[in-house]
Amino acid sequence: MSVTEAVETIPLRLSGSQPFTQQPGIFMMIGERTNVAGSPKFARLIKEGKFEEAVSIARQQVENGANVIDICMDEGMIDGVAAMTRYLQLLGSEPEVAKAPFMVDSSKWEVIEAGLKCMQGKGIVNSISLKEGEEKFRKNASTVLKYGAAVVVMAFDEEGQAATFEDRIRICSRAYKILVDEVGFPPEDIIFDPNILTVATGMEEHNNYAVDFINATRWIKENLPHAKVSGGVSNISFSFRGNNRVREAMHSAFLYHAIAAGMDMGIVNAGQLEIYEEIEPQLKVLVEDVLLNRRPDATERLVEYGEALKASGAGETVTEKKTEEWRNAPVEERLSHALVKGIDTYIDIDTEEVRAKLGRPLLVIEGPLMAGMSVVGDLFGAGKMFLPQVVKSARVMKKAVAYLTPFMEAEKAEMEAAGQVVRTQGKIVLATVKGDVHDIGKNIVGVVLACNNYEVIDMGVMVPAEKILERAKAEKADVIGLSGLITPSLDEMVHVAREMERQGFKLPLLIGGATTSRAHTAIKIAPHYSEPVVHVLDASRAVPVTTSLLSDESRGAFIEQHRKEYESLRRAHSAPRQTTIAIEAARARRTPIEWRKEDIAVPEFTGVRVLDHFPLTTLREFIDWTPFFHAWELKGIYPRILDDERQGEQARQIFAEGNAMLDRIIAEDLLNARAVYGFFPANAVGDDVELYTDETRQHVLDRFYFLRQQANREGKDVCRSLADFIAPKETGLPDYIGTFAVTSGMGLRELCDRFRAEHDDYNAIMAEAIADRLAEAFAEYLHKRVRDEWGYGKDEKLSPAELIQEGYRGIRPAPGYPASPDHTEKGTIWSLLNVEANTGIKITESYAMWPGSSISGIYFAHPQSRYFSVGKIGRDQVEDYHERKGMSMAEVERWLGPNLNYDPES
Amino acid sequence: MTTVREHPLQKILRERIAIIDGAMGTTIRTYGMTEADIRGERFKDSKKDLLNNGDIFSLTQPEMICDIHRRFLEAGADIIETNTFGATNISQSEFFVDDPREHGGRKNPEFYQKIVDDPFLNDLAWEINERSARQCREWADRVANETGRQRFVAGAIGPLTVSLSNSPDADDPGFRVVTFDQVKESYIRQVRALIAGGSDLLLVETIFDSLNAKAALVAIREVFDADGKELPIMISAAVGRGGETMISAQTVEAFWTAVRHVKPLSVGLNCSIGPDLMYPFLEELSQKSDAFVSAYPNAGLPNPLSPTGFDLEPEDMARFLGDFAKSGMVNIAGGCCGNTPEHIAAIARALEGRPPRKPGRTSVEAYANEVKA
Repeated sequence: MSVTEAVETIPLRLSGSQPFTQQPGIFMMIGERTNVAGSPKFARLIKEGKFEEAVSIARQQVENGANVIDICMDEGMIDGVAAMTRYLQLLGSEPEVAKAPFMVDSSKWEVIEAGLKCMQGKGIVNSISLKEGEEKFRKNASTVLKYGAAVVVMAFDEEGQAATFEDRIRICSRAYKILVDEVGFPPEDIIFDPNILTVATGMEEHNNYAVDFINATRWIKENLPHAKVSGGVSNISFSFRGNNRVREAMHSAFLYHAIAAGMDMGIVNAGQLEIYEEIEPQLKVLVEDVLLNRRPDATERLVEYGEALKASGAGETVTEKKTEEWRNAPVEERLSHALVKGIDTYIDIDTEEVRAKLGRPLLVIEGPLMAGMSVVGDLFGAGKMFLPQVVKSARVMKKAVAYLTPFMEAEKAEMEAAGQVVRTQGKIVLATVKGDVHDIGKNIVGVVLACNNYEVIDMGVMVPAEKILERAKAEKADVIGLSGLITPSLDEMVHVAREMERQGFKLPLLIGGATTSRAHTAIKIAPHYSEPVVHVLDASRAVPVTTSLLSDESRGAFIEQHRKEYESLRRAHSAPRQTTIAIEAARARRTPIEWRKEDIAVPEFTGVRVLDHFPLTTLREFIDWTPFFHAWELKGIYPRILDDERQGEQARQIFAEGNAMLDRIIAEDLLNARAVYGFFPANAVGDDVELYTDETRQHVLDRFYFLRQQANREGKDVCRSLADFIAPKETGLPDYIGTFAVTSGMGLRELCDRFRAEHDDYNAIMAEAIADRLAEAFAEYLHKRVRDEWGYGKDEKLSPAELIQEGYRGIRPAPGYPASPDHTEKGTIWSLLNVEANTGIKITESYAMWPGSSISGIYFAHPQSRYFSVGKIGRDQVEDYHERKGMSMAEVERWLGPNLNYDPES
Repeated sequence: MTTVREHPLQKILRERIAIIDGAMGTTIRTYGMTEADIRGERFKDSKKDLLNNGDIFSLTQPEMICDIHRRFLEAGADIIETNTFGATNISQSEFFVDDPREHGGRKNPEFYQKIVDDPFLNDLAWEINERSARQCREWADRVANETGRQRFVAGAIGPLTVSLSNSPDADDPGFRVVTFDQVKESYIRQVRALIAGGSDLLLVETIFDSLNAKAALVAIREVFDADGKELPIMISAAVGRGGETMISAQTVEAFWTAVRHVKPLSVGLNCSIGPDLMYPFLEELSQKSDAFVSAYPNAGLPNPLSPTGFDLEPEDMARFLGDFAKSGMVNIAGGCCGNTPEHIAAIARALEGRPPRKPGRTSVEAYANEVKA
């Protein structure tokens, strides 16, 4: 675009919390009802100090389509600075109003400055003028510019108000030059008010005022580039006070002509403007005669007409707009609407309606009101509502709760009288933890909770753990809420949780603040404290969480659900995200094994063998008892635990009972231990291991697909894969792999069912615990036997206790465990060994084994084979694995979820 | 109107994308400093913990802070920020003055008037700002001489720990803990000290409350007018997922409209959300603004489980900011929380040779386009 074309008028741009740009050809309406001179009701509310009620007038203006709202407190009985400040601060907390730009209107400069200090956006100052000379004019204009507002300039100078066309344009043009050339004021932000003066006063010299205004407007728009024109429209019809029909017609007709001349905006009652075309034709002619000064008797004729109208009772306004269709919806929807929009006008009526319907006040809170607040929470979470709106919603909630409080108290008194225990209102201690000074977010949480009738004790910022806990005790708090914005606060929160555990607290702990997260809370904080530790995503979630935790009805279910979620989070994040190296680079760092024939063991046989009814007395010697005690939540190592000072007695008792159970199982042959295992000729090909049908190694029987470590640990660490422990095909060395499945669970279900039928849950659990131990013992025993059959185990000479320490050559990793995390590899074992037919062990669709006391795995015999954890893997390996195994990406990602070092798509 | 001589940074911004440094706070943490380190001899008897009052390090551990400045400069930053994000009497008061709420009191304008008048806090705030600006000046000039490339010091003006737009009182949405004039006074002292220490630019950043920012901009104007010296101003807002300033909920365009009158050298977005989430809002700002546009996002979202505390690695940031550049949206780029010198180096490499955003269209052109549309 070239410079010569750029002569079009720059639009006026304003803002509240939302931007406003003047659109070409569209008249801007400035609401006048928040002007003490424009609305008697507003003036009364302000004088009586009912500011919050006065806020609803601003909201109506915006709802009725005002683009800007004019705020004026100029009245003898009002302290202008204080009233302007307070009112604008209230409007700032009213999101539906705060969207719009404000016009700060006063003849007192200190009131205007007070207004400028309360507007985050770009508003308009109304007004400055040359009345007190150029110096004052320049100074005030510079101040307006400093705060970044547009400005209305009245056509006034040292001599007084401009009434004629000539005076109007002379003063405006002088003001324009000073503003643009001397002050550096953006010309598009200058709004002239060339004085809309009252016509039809009966004085002849007033008859041309409207025409002069219109002509001055045209001149300004043609001669003062980018400047705007505005005016207070209702002045024009002041002679017809009390006759709204005539006044509305005059306003419409006047605007019609002034807009045609270029008037940009006007102060009007946005809800009360008749459409020009709809003015009754006779009235229109009379009105235009007056405005355009078309005939000497125009005033008399309009007055006469007006009197007649008044006499017929038709002088009252007809056009107050209805903006409240939502009132027709069912009451639950109305409550939800009121909460979401933050409208408290009808909250008492609506709350009463629901209370009458539901019977109990608490049902109103926990039902429709909480439902509404959860809509708020969802909208906020989705970025469709913003903090001030949430706070506003909470305040409406508070009013609803306040309405219900007397009912609840009455109910409480009744229940107490009837001897029932009544839950008291919740008390919450909130604090920003030691070392952190941020508390704006926490304050909002406090407000939202307080609005929901919780008693909030806000301890402020930088509060040490001991003070928080002391206060919580002293106040008998029901919940503690911790907040923090910066990363180190996270550690402090862990510290608080630990202290709560140490001091035996029983309260739930809420965690919030920008750097906190559900995952962090679950993984780092919750494990230190036995009671619920709940992450609260944002202020809107504080109430549902607190309510759930404190409600007798929902507490249990909430905590259960919460524990489950956090448990799965902990599992998903068991290792922090690391950096991974490319899979090709990882393969180059494979386990360094020098392949030698003498390190490769040759098994006595290849093929499959089955063991049935294996003697349990043999397995008994191989039992590792330590996990047995863990199953009973006794933490310690067998046999030391039997002599433990604290747990010893308990440990000895269950050990005796466990052995008694084992004696009975053996004596009565209650469980059948079965196993299947086999050896296969095998060689590694990349990260796969090929199993061959026979020693010719010509035909591939099946393949195991293994994963490789990719984590970029220090320097050049080895990146292991189980495939590393089988001789690569290219070495030409014949190698072998084994695989197995064992169970001691055959008969277990019947046994447990029998105990349960006798209501003996204790022995049912005991039988399961013993069966588990037998299965592990069987795996240990079988591994020993396999090592013997592989040859190299014959010289081991290890006691069963040493075997449990796994101090031998070779490993037996299980699919689904760290070295081979893909559970679906079990499918290969099942088909190789025909496991189900041979032992009765089934695999479910999630590749779990049934019965539970079953174990399967793969044997590796090389001396350098060892257990490891594959850990995090990159997308490149997953893609490669998907290709190798012929399983879809999505499925691979599903099975390997916890190992993925990236977020899979979808 | 007077013609202002073009600032050397303006010339650079016309030719290429300038690089601004990364985060001070998260980088400090990699040095493993303890409470005793930040206190040093000077603050050893301080009643409250100071470890998270990172600005104090400029006084007690200047070697570390200068090391960070040097590393950012060597990583390729054209602009480094002073370590003064919280160096106002109001923000410092949180670390040195008893919180009245601990004793059942409240924070209100009476409380903050005492803070604004407190000689200890005022002297401390002045000293941090001036010293930090001097430290930046020294290293900026040193590295400039070594590399033959001019470097700039931006006096960092943070958002404060109080909000002018929000009421912490559940019963009174019209209540404010502090007044506009108190906030302005607090900023005036910071601005003077930053200029006294040799800042080249003033950077009002991480704006989550636009009214606080307005107080800072009014403070700057008043200092300029009183002292007769002007510096270019950079402005940067922190918006949330919906594109509104975090506390005062102002949209990007509304915000730009509200600050445009100061004729800033640049306007942009930083902190709060990562580069991917920032994209649409930066794009909007880039379309509306006729000032240069800056972007220095966090290294993704906070992730307490990652070593830097944030999601994104240097290469990730380089890729995202590279996308900003490809779309022609930025003139100044860098990083906020979670961005180490390695991040800045990666960003600088990624943006080398990329054309800067075209100097903003004028409002007239933008308007004409709107009319056509």
